[in-house]
Amino acid sequence: MIDPALLLVMLATPLLGGISSALVRSDRVRYALVVPTCLVTLALALTLIARILATGPVSAFANWLYLDDLDAVVLLVVVVVSTLAGAYSIAYFRSDAQGHVLRPGELRKYFGLFHLFTFTMVLATVSGNLILLWTGVTATTFAAAPLVDFYGSHEPLEAAWKFLVLAVAGELIALLGFLLLYEAGIASLGSAYNFSIPVMEQAGPHLTASLGAIAFLMVLVGFGAKAGLAPMHTWLPDAHSQAPAPVCAMLSGAELNCAMLAIVRVLSLVTPANKARAGGLHEALLAFGLLSMAVGVVFLISQRNFKRLLAYSSVEQMGLIAAGFGIGAPVAAVGALLQMITHSLAKSLMFFNSGNLLLRFRTTTISEVRGAIRVAPASAILVIAGALAIAGAPPFGLFISEFTIIRGALLNHAWAVGAGIAALLMVAFLALMEPFNRMVFGQGRGEPLPARAELGLGVLAPGYILLAAVLVLGVWIPGPLHSMLVGASQVVDR
Amino acid sequence: MLAELMLSALLLLVTYWFIVTRRLSSAVSAYSVQSWLLGLVALALYVDTRLIGLLLFGLLIVSVKGILIPRLLRNRVAFALVAGRETSYYVRFPTALLIGAGLSLVGLLAATRLAFQPQLLPQSVLGISLAVFLLGLFTTIARRDAILQVTGLLAAENGLLLLSLVVAPGLSLLIEVAIVLDVLIAVLVMGFLVARMRDAVAGTDTSELTRLRG
Repeated sequence: MIDPALLLVMLATPLLGGISSALVRSDRVRYALVVPTCLVTLALALTLIARILATGPVSAFANWLYLDDLDAVVLLVVVVVSTLAGAYSIAYFRSDAQGHVLRPGELRKYFGLFHLFTFTMVLATVSGNLILLWTGVTATTFAAAPLVDFYGSHEPLEAAWKFLVLAVAGELIALLGFLLLYEAGIASLGSAYNFSIPVMEQAGPHLTASLGAIAFLMVLVGFGAKAGLAPMHTWLPDAHSQAPAPVCAMLSGAELNCAMLAIVRVLSLVTPANKARAGGLHEALLAFGLLSMAVGVVFLISQRNFKRLLAYSSVEQMGLIAAGFGIGAPVAAVGALLQMITHSLAKSLMFFNSGNLLLRFRTTTISEVRGAIRVAPASAILVIAGALAIAGAPPFGLFISEFTIIRGALLNHAWAVGAGIAALLMVAFLALMEPFNRMVFGQGRGEPLPARAELGLGVLAPGYILLAAVLVLGVWIPGPLHSMLVGASQVVDR
Repeated sequence: MLAELMLSALLLLVTYWFIVTRRLSSAVSAYSVQSWLLGLVALALYVDTRLIGLLLFGLLIVSVKGILIPRLLRNRVAFALVAGRETSYYVRFPTALLIGAGLSLVGLLAATRLAFQPQLLPQSVLGISLAVFLLGLFTTIARRDAILQVTGLLAAENGLLLLSLVVAPGLSLLIEVAIVLDVLIAVLVMGFLVARMRDAVAGTDTSELTRLRG
């Protein structure tokens, strides 16, 4: 009885936070609302996750809302990233980012949409009805696109427009997929049934196999655009180079995972019916994943803008996650789920770093940033440690998750896939480390460095928290997290 | 059943309007007409079956998509609609028409290959809905003007709502409401960005938006 209430309050908190941020007059109140709103959502999410781990999936309101281990992984990522991004936003805007003087009303827009963005992502993770899942993932776009346009000049508008048109086109293709998925259930469930995750899971093998397969492919292509899979990824580097740093952290760290969650969810629903035939569904996901990795790595090399560099790294990493699920082995699925968490933590950290570099050096061009270690040591350590983490060096969490995915491929006798992933990760490591190394330790051509001055605690603390988390995950996976990952992998590979 | 079939065929015909027209305000009218036809299909189905959900669905479509959204578009981007037309194109008119005809055929043929359980509407309407969907997406890709891109997406979405009437007339009304609300918000956000284009590129030609590369 307590669970439906918890779910509702968890959804209502960011929604009310957004509405009140849009309504109140004073910016001070708006700033004061951010962290409490995020923390309440975080606490409710953790409570719900603990209850799922203890007693199994939670379902409420005739399956309109539903939360199982797979949802829980993404929910955890969403609430953690949004809490830290919220805290970072406050310090970032107070530090007069990008030399941008805030106009009246800009913070009203920013924080109103920020909380709504969180709300839509939480909705996507807790929805049980599959059309509600589509609605949640789709609604993230509408909150995020105006945030990408935040700085309001030509380039941000261009990025927001590309994002919006591509994402909406993708969402319509995904909706076609969901409608076909409904049709796939009619043969066994009747013409008017409860179109929800638990019902479809039970119907599993009795769904119309061919319709289910087409439905999955439509969702893969449609939401693949939102998840940053190549060749539909083109909005991603533009949006990430133009949006404020904390919004980039939300986009890369949380939103991409929501789209991936929907893709993997539909895959898990249609797999049982397609087991008998040669399938090809996992292979399609694997192919998109490997293509995205390859495209991401190619564009990592010789990238001149560090925010675009991080965006292409997201394309590569989402490709790796897709490939991990596409391999079709339980070990690889656990790796992909862990990768969702570790990548989100490390990528949010790196986008906070990108904001810090911008605050200190007033540029996003790689060649114009030199000797950060001498200008602001505490920020620079965070940059280089974060770069090592995102590149997958031990002892950071990404090393473990990437290693697990490759191990899953090898256990499945997919030698070429395992070797290919390893090779691409190796190239990505070099392509990522080289520019960040230059920015932090480089001497430059003798031009004077900015005066030595450390950034404030407000913009550094969220990064250090993320760094600690991703470091801990590299050496120790807590028991509850482990059982959540295993539970989620069982949902994926039914 | 004949009425629904005729209305659906008309709906497909109207969708060609999006491909043909260069005038921005005419594309908004086309969307309004297309939405009215969609609403009428649902209302005709209601007359046949007396399912209250279909009545509400039809009224929702007509009021939100037939009246409200065109009005919103006209208000938000009035600056562009006044005698506004697309001046340059990616795909020339005869080619666009040929591709459109090809896509319609693809949609109609694809529908015959789906393992589909006929409910209230026949399989041919399924084909029509897929054709409308493809034509809408094609318009979005082929057009340079932001408003024509938006109406293309909206047209594609109408195709999917027709498909939802074919596949699942019993799909709960709440779900249809969710989808329509989603479109409404999409139009608000798109209208906001289109209005911003007036300052940035002095118009709604998206081929001006090419500064971001690499």
